[in-house]
Amino acid sequence: MSIARFSPFELLLLKSRSQVDTATLLLLAWVLVHRQQVSEGQRRRRLAQVTAQFRHGHELGPVMSIAHNQDLQAIQLAAEVVRKECSNERSLSILYQAITVATDDGELSLNNHYILGFLADLLNVTPATFSTLFHELTGKPLQSAEDPSRDAYWQVHDPEYHARKARDAHAAEQKAKEAEERQRANKEQQQQKQQNKQRQQEEAHREKAKQEQAKQEQNKREQDKQQERRKRQEQTQQQERQRWQQEQKRQEEARRQQRERPSSPPDRNTRALAVLGLTPGANRADIRRAYRRMAQLHHPDRFYSGSEHQIALASTRFQRIKSAYDYLMQNT
Amino acid sequence: MSIDSNIMRDLYQRLTLTPDASDQEINSAVARCPNSALRQDAETVLGVAEHRDAYNKLHKTVSDIGQLRARLGLTHAAHWQGDVANDFSLPPDHAISRHDELIDRVSLAVSLYNRWRRFKGPWLLVALFTIGASIGLAFGLALGLGLSIG
Repeated sequence: MSIARFSPFELLLLKSRSQVDTATLLLLAWVLVHRQQVSEGQRRRRLAQVTAQFRHGHELGPVMSIAHNQDLQAIQLAAEVVRKECSNERSLSILYQAITVATDDGELSLNNHYILGFLADLLNVTPATFSTLFHELTGKPLQSAEDPSRDAYWQVHDPEYHARKARDAHAAEQKAKEAEERQRANKEQQQQKQQNKQRQQEEAHREKAKQEQAKQEQNKREQDKQQERRKRQEQTQQQERQRWQQEQKRQEEARRQQRERPSSPPDRNTRALAVLGLTPGANRADIRRAYRRMAQLHHPDRFYSGSEHQIALASTRFQRIKSAYDYLMQNT
Repeated sequence: MSIDSNIMRDLYQRLTLTPDASDQEINSAVARCPNSALRQDAETVLGVAEHRDAYNKLHKTVSDIGQLRARLGLTHAAHWQGDVANDFSLPPDHAISRHDELIDRVSLAVSLYNRWRRFKGPWLLVALFTIGASIGLAFGLALGLGLSIG
């Protein structure tokens, strides 16, 4: 026992001379409400035109307002009445009317796509019959509904938005590039300065060596008379020169090592650590834990339900993580 | 041949939001979303006001249809198949059919009306008496209340 009052549509149905016609009227009005770019008067006129043969015997205004409210209970009631009372021929004619009403201007709105599918199911019309009917009425095959929950739909229907987005992204990229170039220029300048310094140092060294040599030659000339001493001195000089050359070599090597050591191996280490989301100074246990977590997160098997592109992206990510881990395990 | 081979996804459900979520809630949910493709879709669809309005309209219609189908036992009909994870399919509803309910109510109203017609004479008197008595009671109560307050 319900204490609820009779709803407007129930009253309409009770007063109607033909319940099926009233119910059909509401379903058609529901379709019309979801037509875009149509004025209210046009809708009402169209509904009156389509249902000229109906025997309901009441005003159309209340039906339209119920359809506008999207009153689910009323629509359900209408659907039940239609399903109960319709023969096969009648249901085909209702679907026929619904399709004409929905596609007067040639465009089937997405809302109506779903509504027509619902009506076809309700009236027990198979998809094959429905699509041939649709093709006959509109001259166009029924296409599957587009999906506005996807990015691709808006790329077609609102290209401006994507153009704007792309422009923004491009601007940001350019800025980043400029900043990078500036940094690189700075670095190059610094490197040049360093090189200049080194060259100056080397030149100074060489001059010193020359002076020493000159002095030594002078000594040689002075010590011409004292052969024995000279020989001994020569030996010592040679030894000294050798020592000096060796020292020079050692220094150069040290310098080269100094230049290389801070740049290459620790940099690769930090990069590998960054791939695993760690900071320098992480120990092996940390690395192993981080690797396990990242591998779980980025394993391609997690994306088996996604597109091929997604899977490919995931596997490259996974590959990077794995190679970083291997490198770190070898080098720490 | 299935026509609705790809029924629209319910982005709100997939982001565990409600359709009336604020922009802030949407942004944080999108940022939290682990699936990058879904994140991009949500950014495009829910992040722009016009896109979201259009999407909301369709979302309302499709969820209404999902509810209707559940109540009418049409959840597995030919035009509603396709995607296995159909976001708008509800489990079948065991609510009483609206038409049966209408018939029940009409028959109840008819029986009440008939009873009224049959017992018209004596019951009219009784009804008048009770109405008078209740009006008197109401007055008395009002007076008592007024006195106690005053």
